[in-house]
Amino acid sequence: MRKYVPKDNVQKKAYYTDRFHVVPRVPREEVTDAHFASVVSALGSDAKESYVEIGQLVVHIDPTRNFDVMKTLKEQCGYTQCSEQSAVDYLAKDNEFELFWQLLNITEAKRVRVVCRLENGLAIESIQPLYRSANFAEREMFDMFGIKVNNHPFLKRILMPDDWEGHPLLKTYPLHGDEFASWYEVDKIFGKEYRDIIGPENRDPAKIDIEDTKRFSRVGYEVPFGAEYNGEEEQEIEYSETALVNYNKKASKTLDERR
Amino acid sequence: MAQHQVNYASSAGLPIALTSVDKLVNWGRSNSLWPLTYGLACCAIEMMASGASRYDFDRMGTIFRASPRQADVMILAGTLSKKHAEFARRLYDQMTEPKWVISMGSCANTGGMFNTYATVQGVDRIIPVDIYLPGCAPRPETLQYAMMMLQKKIRKESADMKKNTKQDLTTQTGKKRARLI
Amino acid sequence: MQVTNKLSPFFENLNFERDDNTMVINFGPQHPSAHGQLRLVLELDGEQVVKAYPDIGYLHRGIEKMAENMTYNEFLPTTDRLDYIASTSNNYAYALAVEKLIGVEAPRRAQVIRTALLELNRIISHLFFVATHALDVGAMSVFLYAFREREFAMDLMEDYCGARLTHSAVRIGGVPLDLPAGWLENLAAFCDKVDYEVEHTYEALLTENRIWKMRLEDVGIISAEDALSWGCTGVMLRGSGVKWDIRKEEPYELYPELDFDIPTSDRCDSYGRYKLYMEEMRQSTRIMRQLIPMYKESAPQLMAHAPQYISATKEEIMTQNYALMQHFVLVTQGMRPPKGEVYVPTESPKGELGFYIKSEGEPYAYRLKCRAPSFFHTGLLQEILVGTYIADVVTIIGTTNIVFGEVDR
Repeated sequence: MRKYVPKDNVQKKAYYTDRFHVVPRVPREEVTDAHFASVVSALGSDAKESYVEIGQLVVHIDPTRNFDVMKTLKEQCGYTQCSEQSAVDYLAKDNEFELFWQLLNITEAKRVRVVCRLENGLAIESIQPLYRSANFAEREMFDMFGIKVNNHPFLKRILMPDDWEGHPLLKTYPLHGDEFASWYEVDKIFGKEYRDIIGPENRDPAKIDIEDTKRFSRVGYEVPFGAEYNGEEEQEIEYSETALVNYNKKASKTLDERR
Repeated sequence: MAQHQVNYASSAGLPIALTSVDKLVNWGRSNSLWPLTYGLACCAIEMMASGASRYDFDRMGTIFRASPRQADVMILAGTLSKKHAEFARRLYDQMTEPKWVISMGSCANTGGMFNTYATVQGVDRIIPVDIYLPGCAPRPETLQYAMMMLQKKIRKESADMKKNTKQDLTTQTGKKRARLI
Repeated sequence: MQVTNKLSPFFENLNFERDDNTMVINFGPQHPSAHGQLRLVLELDGEQVVKAYPDIGYLHRGIEKMAENMTYNEFLPTTDRLDYIASTSNNYAYALAVEKLIGVEAPRRAQVIRTALLELNRIISHLFFVATHALDVGAMSVFLYAFREREFAMDLMEDYCGARLTHSAVRIGGVPLDLPAGWLENLAAFCDKVDYEVEHTYEALLTENRIWKMRLEDVGIISAEDALSWGCTGVMLRGSGVKWDIRKEEPYELYPELDFDIPTSDRCDSYGRYKLYMEEMRQSTRIMRQLIPMYKESAPQLMAHAPQYISATKEEIMTQNYALMQHFVLVTQGMRPPKGEVYVPTESPKGELGFYIKSEGEPYAYRLKCRAPSFFHTGLLQEILVGTYIADVVTIIGTTNIVFGEVDR
């Protein structure tokens, strides 16, 4: 029987796991800082869970409330910039995405991460009216994960071509790309008939060809493509006589000429 | 070369090979190769550095041209992504004959370190390449050496372009010439 | 010779037959301004831009997906290719994020070397900015002068780590190599040279130049609220009057001990930003001069001591058996950081470069997101280009200092 390879998560796995190894956790602290405590109290019941991790406040919220939470954070707590926004794919484990927004308060120099869990198939409300940086960030999230965003002015693919099929950063999408991806450029430019002529991609970095010795040139001993390499005479590098000094002439030659 | 009634460049019908005409034509072509500015990624920075003050590219007679109609050489410097592949081919088609291609850097040669879904694994899947230049990023002197190798290759060419073989995966005849497994 | 292909003129959904007299042009993914692969679809009314739509993704290489399939140390050279003009800043941002995740701090000498490299990279990036911006606007000789200085800086980097452009000069936990002999003297000479050149060449040629001022003043104006809302960081934000520099506000490395100023400008236009770049170069040389004596006083330890995550030094690996075994395991299997997530912002020459890493205890990151400053600056182009003339489009693209390795990842 062949080995069972799970298709719902094709990320590379560690080949060796120690069954006695307990994975430590990054320490989470209680919210003691005055500013962070004020943020948590401003959010009230929206903050389902909050803690401080590596100097930043992390707040877990409900995905339906994200616009109101961001509005509170922007207007009341002074978080004027949304530095980043993206998603993490947990479809294999919980059938959910974990979305996060990274916010920055310029006056207090503090950062807050707002985290929510979105079920597969649901859409999230756009925070583009509050933070314009979400314009591109949400488009990228849609492109890479397929998470639709409501009320976005222009939700189209941004990093991948417009006619791409599949969402690349999902765990089910292989790193080398599926069949659509591997033939994309050939189909686009030449057509499906050229798949046989051009041949499949070479995804093996260690592939060795029997004719490789003919193809890699040695500096000074170059031969035309496909010709046999004898490695006998070194060909002088030709410099243009008109433009450059001829470095091949040895300096001692002038001494000999003078004598 | 204007193709009037007598075609000096082609040796069809004439019992002699016109080496002096070939040599003249090739001297002109090789010593004034005008590259198309096709910097895609990091190798573009090294290409710019090779055209800048320390490693001057102008001494080989190269002037970087932005329009493909005025360029001879297309130096593909950097990673070609699948979104961009169509435009690279389009620009190659818009270049006028005679034209050559230098594939600069690992990403253009074979896809390089980006063994992913969005990278074309080697520019020669789309465009016939004359000189492959390895490196990540190759030094400016390496690019100039590649240009000199291209000049050497051009000087050996016949002025009748049909006789020149290119590494061309995109045609059946080209593939047979390449003799890949 | 020409292979026929099925590419025919392909115009998407752009309607070229228009009644309202605006012209749609394509500022294609290949253009002579040096910024890489930006495609702008501009709708013009005469010479004024009415609508601008930046189309990116032409350099998307799937770096974030690669990070999910490589160990943490393996991924470090890939971060070089993000902002490929100042590679060490990306390496450092990633190494700092992983170090914060595993809770390790680099030793003193490594910090001195890293800070020196970061500031050197800042100068390299700002010189490139001046070169390409001036080239786009039309002052072509500044390109050659700036690249001459850049060559000296790249000589320094090459002396240290062997590579001119893609450095990988920083490791998780410290630096791999000590400074070669004479590097600090060369660095001091380079600082003097940059100070002299900034004052006597770049500023002398450009700052009071009538044409430069006419091209750059009141072009690309962005207010402070807009800049904050659009996610601008770095010089884009400081050029609009917001005094925010991560090196001062959320300091990392040796920045709390160093003495430097943060220039800001209230002009909000390209000319103000240009002056900020010049002034930042001066501050960088000031920082590097302060680091030179700090190096001599530091103990010669280059990598942090955390055997669970970081290999031992080369001498120990070559002589001690357990060091060799542990190094072997770390190289083949990769280090397993604790379970959790981290977001660490750093001040790269382009803006706020941050890495978000989510780890599940595996040797491969579960999710790595790179917060690239140029991505948000490109988004800003939609708004900032409207109402400008087409000649200003090139100036504005230059002043936002975007590099497409970061935008597309």
